[in-house]
Amino acid sequence: MKHILKIMGLLVAISAIWIGLLETSVIPRSFTWLLPVYLIVSLGCYGLLMVGVGLMLFPTCPQEAVLLQKDIREAREFLKDKGVDVGSD
Amino acid sequence: MELADKVVGFLLSAISLTIFIYYTFWVIILPFVETDHFIHGYFLPQEFAILIPVFAGVALLCFLCVFVGYVMLKSKAKKKQT
Repeated sequence: MKHILKIMGLLVAISAIWIGLLETSVIPRSFTWLLPVYLIVSLGCYGLLMVGVGLMLFPTCPQEAVLLQKDIREAREFLKDKGVDVGSD
Repeated sequence: MELADKVVGFLLSAISLTIFIYYTFWVIILPFVETDHFIHGYFLPQEFAILIPVFAGVALLCFLCVFVGYVMLKSKAKKKQT
C-alpha cells in the first residue's frame, strides 16, 4: 500500500515538472513533447536490462543437485527394501 | 543450457543498453547540436523518435492480446475434451 503511494507521488511530481516545462517553454516545445516518450523508453530499457542481468547471474548450485540425486537414490533403495513400488528411473 | 541462458541474458542487457544510449543521444543531445553537423546523418528525423516507440508499443500490445486469446482458446478446448 505504501509502495503505490510512493509511485503515485513520483508520477505526480514528474508530470508537474513536465507541465511546468511545457508552460514556461524554457526549452523548445517540440523537444518537451518528447520527454514522456523518452521516459517510457528508458523504463522499458531498464526492465529489459534487469531481466538480462537476472538471467545472466541466475544462481545455480551444482553440488546441491548432486546431493539431491544421492538423496533420491537412497530413498528409492529404502522404499524398495520395504516393498513399496517406486518404479524405475 | 546454463551457457545459453548466460548468452541470452548478456544479449538482452547489451540490446537494452544500446537502445538506451542511442535514444538518449537522439532525444536529449541532438537538439543542442547544429543542424548542419555531420552527426545528424546518423539519425532519423525527430518525428520518428515518437513514431517508432508508439508503433512498437502497439505491436507489443497486439501480440500480447493475440497470445492471451490463443492461450484462453486452447485451455477452453482442453476443458471440453476432459
